Amino acid sequence: MTAWSYYIATLTVYFGVDVLAALSVNLQFGFAGVVNFGFIVFQSVGAYIAAVVVLGPSSGTFQQYVFGARLPFGVALLLATAAGAVLSLAVGLFSLRNIRSDYQAAILLIISLIATQVVQGYVPLFNGSNGITGVPRPFGSLPLSLQGYEWAYAGWVLLFCAVAYALVTWLSRSPWGRALRAMRDQEDAAAALGLNVTALRLQVFVIGGAIAGLSGGLLVEYIGAWSPDAWGYAETFVIFTSIFVGGVGNYRGAVLGVLLVPIVFLELPRFLPQVGYPGLMDSMEWIAIGAIWMLCLYVRPQGILPERRNRARRASGKAAIPAEPAEQMEPA
Amino acid sequence: MRLRKIPAAVAACGLAASAMATAATAEGRHASGGSLTVAGVIALTGSSDFEGQNQVGGLYPALYAINKAGGVLGDKLVFKGVDTRGDPADALPAVQQMLATTSNLVAVAGPDTSSAPTIVPVLNSAKIPMMAVAGESVYDRNTAPYFWRLFPPDAANGTAMTLWAKRKGYTKVAAVFGTDSGSQGDKPGVIQSMKALHLTLVANVDLTPSQPTYLSSVRKVIASHPQVIMTESDATTAGTFFGELKQLGGLVPIVGTEATFTSPWLTAVKGALGTSDFLKDYTGLITAPSKTTPAVKAYQQAVTAVKGQEPKPWQSYLSNPFSITYYDGMVSVALAMVASKSTKPSVFNNAIPSVTNPGKGKMVVYTFAQGKAALAAGKKIQYVGATGLIDFDRWHNSFGNQEAVKSAASLKPISLGVVTAQQIEAVPVKGA
Amino acid sequence: MWSTFVSAVGFGVVLASIISVAAMGFTIQFGLTNVLNLSFGAVMTVAAFVAYLANSHGVGGWSDLAIGGVAGAALTLLLGRGIFKPYARRGAQLFEMMMVTLGLSLIIDYAVQAISHNNIYQYAVLPSRPFQLGAILITHTQLIIVFISIGVLVGLLALLRLTKVGKALRAMAADPDLARACGIRTGQIVVVTWLLSGFLCGLAGVVYIINTQSVGYTTGELFLPLVVAAAILGGAGSPLGAVLASLIMGIVTEVVSAFGSDSYSTVAGFGILVLVLLSRPGSVRGGQAGHTQLTL
Repeated sequence: MTAWSYYIATLTVYFGVDVLAALSVNLQFGFAGVVNFGFIVFQSVGAYIAAVVVLGPSSGTFQQYVFGARLPFGVALLLATAAGAVLSLAVGLFSLRNIRSDYQAAILLIISLIATQVVQGYVPLFNGSNGITGVPRPFGSLPLSLQGYEWAYAGWVLLFCAVAYALVTWLSRSPWGRALRAMRDQEDAAAALGLNVTALRLQVFVIGGAIAGLSGGLLVEYIGAWSPDAWGYAETFVIFTSIFVGGVGNYRGAVLGVLLVPIVFLELPRFLPQVGYPGLMDSMEWIAIGAIWMLCLYVRPQGILPERRNRARRASGKAAIPAEPAEQMEPA
Repeated sequence: MRLRKIPAAVAACGLAASAMATAATAEGRHASGGSLTVAGVIALTGSSDFEGQNQVGGLYPALYAINKAGGVLGDKLVFKGVDTRGDPADALPAVQQMLATTSNLVAVAGPDTSSAPTIVPVLNSAKIPMMAVAGESVYDRNTAPYFWRLFPPDAANGTAMTLWAKRKGYTKVAAVFGTDSGSQGDKPGVIQSMKALHLTLVANVDLTPSQPTYLSSVRKVIASHPQVIMTESDATTAGTFFGELKQLGGLVPIVGTEATFTSPWLTAVKGALGTSDFLKDYTGLITAPSKTTPAVKAYQQAVTAVKGQEPKPWQSYLSNPFSITYYDGMVSVALAMVASKSTKPSVFNNAIPSVTNPGKGKMVVYTFAQGKAALAAGKKIQYVGATGLIDFDRWHNSFGNQEAVKSAASLKPISLGVVTAQQIEAVPVKGA
Repeated sequence: MWSTFVSAVGFGVVLASIISVAAMGFTIQFGLTNVLNLSFGAVMTVAAFVAYLANSHGVGGWSDLAIGGVAGAALTLLLGRGIFKPYARRGAQLFEMMMVTLGLSLIIDYAVQAISHNNIYQYAVLPSRPFQLGAILITHTQLIIVFISIGVLVGLLALLRLTKVGKALRAMAADPDLARACGIRTGQIVVVTWLLSGFLCGLAGVVYIINTQSVGYTTGELFLPLVVAAAILGGAGSPLGAVLASLIMGIVTEVVSAFGSDSYSTVAGFGILVLVLLSRPGSVRGGQAGHTQLTL
């Protein structure tokens, strides 16, 4: 009974973190047409910053890292969010331009590869490949049983999810959100109407990056450790697959997708009997993720829960996924 | 708002499942003729998957030998793999799911270095004994009662390598390590012990794995004129690097960490250097003795018996120091269960040192079958394993001597000398 | 200092030769079809494994190159007709197609992992001795690889300039609609593209493992970004451009490695790719006609 409770609590925390991740990615992709294939870097910077400011100064022998300020957890989360925002500002200024979206996606993917190389290569930064461990848990001195603590933390994470969900929903209903959709669907027309497209894109990117940083901070304070193996570029794919399955461009779909893909689908194989040599099942899982990805793109690229506005668009026969404005204007 | 319904739905599923699972807790029932599960908490996939193969290579023979001798108190042992993927974020739900669904779990082999800080507290509070392979020096003074470590900490292997180099009269060392987590974990021990023993580090090269060439790094090493190269990296990287080193005429003696004495690395470097240079120039520092004691013989017989199940090539596990250590760990746990006449971890956990540590009036045994028979006859036993003497200290660590070996063409170890545990401990190295 | 630089340049030429074969294959494929095919690396790995299997059954040394090439060609044609074309028919644009190739690369990579049981296999060709070329130290095998890449370049240029098929390829890469209007059988030309670029992809995979002497499912993992960088830097569709760009990539990587830290040589390579993607003409949304459609 207790063992199940721990497991479900962990899954709930992961669910919450992934929802934040999906909200971030969906905000950037579904509403602004920015394909952030480097998403995991922004979550990771939040995790690393939260970890190193909560820990004491580095002794240099056990693990090496920068900062080490022993700050309280609330401050650490704020700094994690800020780190995500600052890094996405830097990356965004550099790489968000009016370029074809496959190049843009490739650029952001490459940036995540560069980040991995830099962290692994420059050990004094975040302890290289071994990563940072021993991050203490927030509010560990509260009079809660171990089990009670797990569920309290899960509730804490879900609270952030609810706040973030409310925030992005409100944003997308606002005039700002309408401007975003205009930019996504008909960029040249939007620019002609006086919308500062570059600034809009950057704003979306930074807000998404802030949410990503927050998700990293929450995750690292739960697990207590963070290393490059935890943030390979494949993690970003899982989030994107969630959005494709659940529904691009709308947040209910993002939440549904997160429930279906990382939580249900990726945990299910643990309950199946082990077939073949140890590790075979995991390879099969990734193959299945790739297959789901491709299947979604083929059969229902707009996801299970379509964006509300899309009903009118589908009726008129246009594609539901944000398409390149240039292609729309050229004859087929 | 729809969002609130979803965690409620998740919680409802969890409660329903836990109701079903109440009958089978993680404490362990004991019914004769049943089975007991040994879980392997290790990276089975991902960049550290060789750790999983090393473990499986040693656990299958252990379970075979134990079951062949009649199992533990009438029950057979069964293996279950729990994939950590080499990172703590994946390890945590995997381990928790295992705890929730494995009713007859008696022991864990692992956790690995990368997930240990997160997983050791979880397993310890679930009261599951772990034969861990976590190399961090923080476990040198471990206080978790269910944590047992037969592996030397990463720093000890590095110190042994440096002591050996000093014994050979080398003073100028080049360090060549991959940037992967396994190699980087062993590196600080090497560097720090070099400082303590006053050897000179003339080149310090980090290799990004799986590159097509390492020519510039090779040139750097050659230009620094080392007398010996200390190294660990994955097999592919090692093959490429040392092949290019030899081709450019810079081959010097190589001293590798324990992780280099595994089949993929040896095969890659032997192919790259050619057999004669490989036999002449490579030395590895390992924990398992190369002499064939009765325990080693029994281990190798067990490996041969399960060769169909072992990852390929099965021969590589005959002298794989990691696999041998896992084997000894599981045999010790099984003997502890027999000695305390219980399969309940909270009961037999404290009996583990009683079946392994030396003591007055104890009968020395070399296999599980021997130990089981001796215990049935009422004797106290001391299991001397395939890794040699096992003597857990009060922090549940046991590490013995290390041996410098070269590799035969068949990849069997050939002993060159011993570096004792006392010599290793005498070198003042801060935790790595 | 100077000799370090010169030898780094020499090493860079060797690395460039390995990159350039793959880059020439990639650029032909990308230039004509406009698919940013991120499963190119996975196909290289498969072809390398096929060559390994042939080698372990006694088919020796250099004919493995041809076998790997054929394997690459066959697989690429299969993917091109069986997967990319149906997606294009469903309305996938540039970006969706790239995502399809990403999903495909996941499937292929992990299928290779599953089948190979996560093992690494030895691939030794002929042992090789070094010799000195001024300040540059090089081995026979590496020299042969350099000659292979030069041979591929010459062969490709001859094909494109001198043959009818080559002219058709160039026409289609420049302006597919006009080419179609002129009566060029675009369907057949696309098939030729898959076969040709697939052959080079497979060849590149074998060249790679000849140098590293081992093959596993991680072979070429970090290699693809270098290849893509070289192809795009050199201009999509131009083999000569790909070779020149490979030289730049290779030399920069080796020089950074010689003077700085080895870990950063890959960062340098990636950094070049990012800069290239940001600044090439044809990067801009809604650019020239030939660059915004898929031709499949």
